[in-house]
Amino acid sequence: MIIKGLEKTVGDFKLYIDELYLEPGKIHGLVGHNGAGKSILLKLMMGIMEPDAGSIDYEGLDIKEVTLMPQTPYLLHTSVYENIVFPLKLRGIQPDETEIDRLLEMAGLSEQKNQYALSLSSGEKQKLSFLRAVVFKPKLILMDETLSNLDPESEAAIIEMIKNTQADQKATWVIVSHQLENKKGLCDEIHHMSKGAMMD
Amino acid sequence: MTGIFDWFRECFTDPAILSAIKVTFQMAVCSCAISSVLGITFGLLLERFNFPGKRIVIRINRTLMGMPPVVAGLITYMVLMRRGPLGALGWLFTIKGMVLAQTLIITPIMTGMVHQYAASKAPAIREFCKTMGADRFQTYVTIIKEMRHDIYFCMVTAFGRSISEVGSVMLVGGNIKGSTRTMTTAISLLKSQGIFTEGIALGMILLIMAFIIQWLCDFLQKGDEH
Repeated sequence: MIIKGLEKTVGDFKLYIDELYLEPGKIHGLVGHNGAGKSILLKLMMGIMEPDAGSIDYEGLDIKEVTLMPQTPYLLHTSVYENIVFPLKLRGIQPDETEIDRLLEMAGLSEQKNQYALSLSSGEKQKLSFLRAVVFKPKLILMDETLSNLDPESEAAIIEMIKNTQADQKATWVIVSHQLENKKGLCDEIHHMSKGAMMD
Repeated sequence: MTGIFDWFRECFTDPAILSAIKVTFQMAVCSCAISSVLGITFGLLLERFNFPGKRIVIRINRTLMGMPPVVAGLITYMVLMRRGPLGALGWLFTIKGMVLAQTLIITPIMTGMVHQYAASKAPAIREFCKTMGADRFQTYVTIIKEMRHDIYFCMVTAFGRSISEVGSVMLVGGNIKGSTRTMTTAISLLKSQGIFTEGIALGMILLIMAFIIQWLCDFLQKGDEH
């Protein structure tokens, strides 16, 4: 993904990314303080927001192969299983039950498979959001502070799942965080952001 | 009190009362169904699109939410009377005419309620659908599915409003025995004749109908959470 001259003004805040290249198949960390513009950049990458100027070149990638995991995931008012298979149903893909069970096992959610999704704990909700994002094998996965505000056990579990999934899928990841700890070992590249611009 | 229960037993064999129950139910279900389709569509469109004068449209709709039923009845009457714009349809003093009047009353209520709920929920659902790769149609279906509890509530409110309405159905339907007499217009007639016990019994049947619909909605809501 190549971002060039990207501009977006939201209220008093102005984001300007002169140039950013995200090498495919790598795990990229996007680190910056609160208010640095990381979430706005992810929303622009996801197509949720339209830029005022500049371009995002997905290098042939369809926007449907991009997904975003927000800090507070939106869960459908249905079961854990139905949440996971939702992106597959959108694409008319028949869920592979063995694969779903494997993912649930990996996340430690096997017992909650038929449970009402909104009754899960916050850590479990993040894990479910993760499974739902990777189940359709997207090429670009954007994580907005997904690892923040989690208990150490859930954070470690999600990091482990990222590594396992990456070994299988070879996607490009952009992991946004306001803290650098624990991300160094996970990310192939770290990009710094401050006051709406890249620091690299 | 015994009088009420005796009458209660007998009422289900009286063709006039059975007809009033049937007409009330037909009118409420039809008007509620039409208003739901219109109200859900208008409410979601109003939330989704910005256009010049949108605030005025919202204010006008909110005003119509409190429109006196008798005014809606009068307008419908004028539209449906022989020399009115839709007089050729011959709907005056028929259930169809009553449904039209009820739809005029309920649709703004449905629209306003759906718009209010959608304004607080739909943006997040829309954003989520985008992250999942849903197209426009799939996004709308998901919004409706995710708002189903709110929509149930709107429909229950609309249904309750429809079965309890008397002013407009009296004007448009004419309270014709065995044809357009509803339970509420029957109660009104019984009151004018001083027959209070039977009026109360009919009112109880009306409340039971509303309770059953409410219970059914609650049951469906709880059913999909487990």
